[in-house]
Amino acid sequence: MSDPTIQAPSRPGRSKGAVRPTKHAVVSMGTMGVNLARVAIIGGFLLLWEIASGKWIEPFLVSSPSRIFLSLISGYRDGDLLQHTWVTFQEIAIGFPIGAISGIALGYAFGRSRLLAEIFEPIIIALNGIPRTALAPLFIVWLGIGLWSKVGVVFLLTFFLNFFNTYTGMRQMDQEYVDLAGLMGVKGWKLTFKVILPAISPYVFTGIRTSIPFAVIGAIVGEFVAATEGIGFFIRMSAGIFKTADVFVGIIVLMIMVIIIDRIAELIERRALRWQSQTEHIRIQA
Amino acid sequence: MADLMPNPGTVAPLQTDAVIRVEKVCKAFYTPSRENLDALIDIELSIHGGEFITVVGPSGCGKSTLLRLIAGFSPCSSGRIMFQGEEVRGLNTKVGYVPQESKLFPWLTVEENVGFGLDSKQYSRADRERQVSQFVHLAGLAGFEKYYPAQLSGGMSKRASIVRALVYEPPVILMDEPFGPLDAQTRMVLQDELLKIWEKKRQTIIFVTHDLVEAVALADQVVVMTHRPGKIRDVLQVPMSRPRNIFEIHRQGGFDEAYGRLWNIFRHELSIGAH
Repeated sequence: MSDPTIQAPSRPGRSKGAVRPTKHAVVSMGTMGVNLARVAIIGGFLLLWEIASGKWIEPFLVSSPSRIFLSLISGYRDGDLLQHTWVTFQEIAIGFPIGAISGIALGYAFGRSRLLAEIFEPIIIALNGIPRTALAPLFIVWLGIGLWSKVGVVFLLTFFLNFFNTYTGMRQMDQEYVDLAGLMGVKGWKLTFKVILPAISPYVFTGIRTSIPFAVIGAIVGEFVAATEGIGFFIRMSAGIFKTADVFVGIIVLMIMVIIIDRIAELIERRALRWQSQTEHIRIQA
Repeated sequence: MADLMPNPGTVAPLQTDAVIRVEKVCKAFYTPSRENLDALIDIELSIHGGEFITVVGPSGCGKSTLLRLIAGFSPCSSGRIMFQGEEVRGLNTKVGYVPQESKLFPWLTVEENVGFGLDSKQYSRADRERQVSQFVHLAGLAGFEKYYPAQLSGGMSKRASIVRALVYEPPVILMDEPFGPLDAQTRMVLQDELLKIWEKKRQTIIFVTHDLVEAVALADQVVVMTHRPGKIRDVLQVPMSRPRNIFEIHRQGGFDEAYGRLWNIFRHELSIGAH
């Protein structure tokens, strides 16, 4: 079984925004070289694959880049693949935001209320210990084989990551910011949205970014267990009839999906955390 | 000792009634081993409007704790603090607070930080902008309005942090060793600027420091605290005229004498603390 996260550009932990601009500036001379090296490696790999397939390895086991490409084109041409992609996208588009927002909200609530945290923390940790994909069959039983069972699994996989990251942020937060804001008469929702959430936003974004591949895993696992459409269903069905090229097509679609969602999240993150960037340092001479 | 007389030779206080009255205040903390650690014992102090008070004492004597109690960040263990005739319970929104580290909100620009305390209900947009711009200029930060704190030097952050507390014009400003981590020159420049601002605005300032020169140079009165548990050892008048020249404070009449007296008191505290 292929894990879609392996192909995705993994970025565990946000690279500190502060480093980004300077790093880019330093590397800019070598950017061309880096890109060339990348293209060469990927191109070489694809070429080797293409040659090996049929020559040294049975094509039905590994397919080949050209076959995969053709399958991808024809799949989208008859609309089949588009429908599967749309279904999987819907599952993620509903489950992921709900999971992320409720995880963030609960993490925030735990951070605000010591009582709540003391009562529920062990329970949450115990629940987190359950291998969550093992719950996928249960969701099918509860919510049927349609959209909502997959939304449930996506929710489950995103929720905990967002919860733990936000809660960590709340515990690391500097009390003095809240005190100072309070002294300046800021309280209620303004305190939450203008002080606390911005203060913990680096943690919140780490949660969101790391949970993106897991949202996709959730959707696919749900579809593997029982479904009539979706990319996971498409992959399982194609493997069942040895259409290896289509299996790879499914994997590629998932990869692209993760990359696109991650890029969008990265853009939002970069805007929201632009205050972390440290492009120049001004010194005052007394 | 605690009853303060009007300062001879300085500008008369704007108000004669005490703005802040600290009455028999004690503060104890629980240590991890569950023992009581007395930070402050029987603090009695009254502070009049428009005065510049500095508080000195050996490190760990509870100077910062006293400020935090006045700000209402934490409650007194016993005794009470009266602020403009009302007991401080919970956050005291009538004081401005300048913490040890600048603690600017790193996600806000300089102008957003400075304007943070200006309530949108009390100030129109135009008023708000005018006020922010005035204080940004006062702090010598013109041109840096759109900068984030991470892009500022230590001295600039400090100025921004100070005007953030001044901008909404609270009657009392509490400053907790604001110039502590700065180099000597930047420190003097900022002391000078602080005095200039204060001479214009005349808020009451309570300024905690461990630097005796700074304590004398800035203050109308110096409150000397003892080694832990913190008590008030003495309150010293500084009868130097204003405006003062921070850069040549040693030459100003009365400085040596005031400094000598302060040092005499303080010396005992150091020897107690040294054993």
